Amino acid sequence: MPDRALNRICYVEDDEDIQRIVRMSLERVGKMTVEVVGDPTMAIDAIGAFKPDLVMLDWMMPKLDGPALFRLMQQHAELKAIPVVFITAKASQRDLDELMAMGAVGTVSKPFSPKDLPGQLREIWKKLP
Amino acid sequence: MNHSSTAEGAALAVSEKSLASGITGRTDPRAVLAARVEQLYGQMWLGILTTFAIGAIATFELWELRLRELVLFWWGLVLLITAASAGLLYAYRSRRDKEADPEQWLRWLGIAALAAGANWGFAGAVFFPSHTDEQQVFLAFLLTGMTAAGIPVYAASWPIFALYAAGALAPFTYVLATFGNRLFTEIALLVPMFYAINVAIAYRLTQVFHSGYRLRHAYGRLTRDYSVLNQRLERQLVELDEARRQVEASGRKLQLFAERAPIAVLELDANGAITEVNHAAELLFGYAGGELIGRHFSFLVRPEHHDEFKARWKRIAESHASEAGVIRNTRRDGIDLLCEWTVTPLVNREGTIIAVVAQGRDITAQREAERIKKEFTSTLSHELRTPLTSIIGSLQLVNTGIVGDVPPDVSELTVVAERNSQRLLDLINDLLDIEKMESGKLTMAPEVLAIDEVVREAMVLNKAFGERFKVNFEMQSGLPGSEVTADRKRLLQVMTNLLSNAAKFSPEGGAVEIALRENGSNVRVAVQDRGPGIPESFRSRIFGRFAQADSTATRQKGGTGLGLAICKRLVELMHGKIGFEARAGGGTTFWFELPRS
Repeated sequence: MPDRALNRICYVEDDEDIQRIVRMSLERVGKMTVEVVGDPTMAIDAIGAFKPDLVMLDWMMPKLDGPALFRLMQQHAELKAIPVVFITAKASQRDLDELMAMGAVGTVSKPFSPKDLPGQLREIWKKLP
Repeated sequence: MNHSSTAEGAALAVSEKSLASGITGRTDPRAVLAARVEQLYGQMWLGILTTFAIGAIATFELWELRLRELVLFWWGLVLLITAASAGLLYAYRSRRDKEADPEQWLRWLGIAALAAGANWGFAGAVFFPSHTDEQQVFLAFLLTGMTAAGIPVYAASWPIFALYAAGALAPFTYVLATFGNRLFTEIALLVPMFYAINVAIAYRLTQVFHSGYRLRHAYGRLTRDYSVLNQRLERQLVELDEARRQVEASGRKLQLFAERAPIAVLELDANGAITEVNHAAELLFGYAGGELIGRHFSFLVRPEHHDEFKARWKRIAESHASEAGVIRNTRRDGIDLLCEWTVTPLVNREGTIIAVVAQGRDITAQREAERIKKEFTSTLSHELRTPLTSIIGSLQLVNTGIVGDVPPDVSELTVVAERNSQRLLDLINDLLDIEKMESGKLTMAPEVLAIDEVVREAMVLNKAFGERFKVNFEMQSGLPGSEVTADRKRLLQVMTNLLSNAAKFSPEGGAVEIALRENGSNVRVAVQDRGPGIPESFRSRIFGRFAQADSTATRQKGGTGLGLAICKRLVELMHGKIGFEARAGGGTTFWFELPRS
């Protein structure tokens, strides 16, 4: 378990409506600091600048999808260590297993409950080394 | 050369020996005897006529003299013996079974012959001493002639001739010997020699007859055997011809099947060269049959698959077993085909491959359709869930008061909106599950689970749902320690379905009772409600898709009508079974069973 509480979250998502709901959930329910990135191609710079505790990636996005972005992060020394959680509408267990195998620390299925989302992330955070 | 001629000689010797033993083997001694008896009886009328005629002449010749009564008596004996013999001949001729009891007939004939012989002997003994010289010569001539005449008549059985001749000559010899005349005494010494020679001749004749009859009999048997053999051969020839015709007919049928089959059929030789193709194969590859025949099959295989093809061909050649698999082929116009092949070698009795039959089907379109369907389902899932995420998320934020209070009227409406959004999501999830089941893509992650704990967890998870219908879940009888091998998430899904169904159909304030018990090698989980029960008409299709007893219930209570169909499939995938029964005192019990670990 990391020595500090989960606070700074960077969320990469192209759907503005979902961006708004996640932001509201994490800020209002979770009392966290949230940076939302709508364009995945800008994500690497944004994450580098924001220095989050944890990154949340949507899977299916135009131009650059979640897994590709994740692989890009692995190529940056300063981003490599940041834990990544995927949030996806893909329902099959095989897809979720694939993400975990890639090195994600957790997955959240869409639709999620905004009431429970911060709790879910904190659970994942607690389990990190 | 030498060696082979020796072998041939040996074979010939063996066949001669076997021929001899064949004759012996084919001879039935009783049948031969019967044939000899028939021969004897066949000549009997000659003896009877001769006896009667010579007897009459002798009677006439001896009549003038003193011993008239004696001559008359003798003539009476002649008549009696000829009559008795004629009677015997008649009896023999009219017997029913021609081959039965030849020994008995032979004995009767022996008696008749002895009587006839003795009759002549009587004549010689009685009339010889008292007659004139001329008459004595007549009598001697008569006796000698009659004895000699017995040889051909009784030739088929020398003992009968011996009896006959002894009867005729013995009394005469005695009279000659005791006559007191030196010449007569010398003749009396000659008569036994004459007798012995005659019997010897009869013996030889009998032997000739015997072997003649044996041969004739064996030949008859052989002929019969050969004709039976011939008939059998003929029958077998007819059968063979029939079999050949059947084979030809089924061959034509097979050829027709191959020609008209919608799948491509190619016949290859043991090296892989094409020897025959059907119409579907011509259509599939775009070549005429004549262009394909003689070429190696690998020219129809994409070059990058040649190694794989060679490996598979080698496997068939070694194992002689048929191979099935998908190979990328190439058409005349260069277009790629994905084909599913079954390749079967035809092996003869010596274990040599005589031909290889390859049956192929173009699955390019099928694979493409499968890919599109999968993509469609995946897209549908994503595209439907994304807006639902926003709708449900927004409504939840409003309904949980996170974004501040809303007027009660509005709150009531947003709760309705959230509930129905949730229903839509459930429907999508259920449809996706059904789709996965149908395409066989629903996979299980089995693990050993404490069933009691999973059931209790499901009760906790669905507690809030139960409360909406003012229904409590109560554990009636647990089963701590019992374990099953199942997919935890899917087991929870089954329980959620059963619990939510029970809650929906229970009366307000009621309880849904959950009972676990062991049932043989299974664990049975029962969910019991006090609802209205399941209408008789609905029972048979309750586990079908979109099954709901009353469509108005859908609107009132929610649910997609897919839940039980999914439960049934899931339980079956976990090697269990599911069912329901009416509950005594009203309500329904739904149960499922899983094998104990």
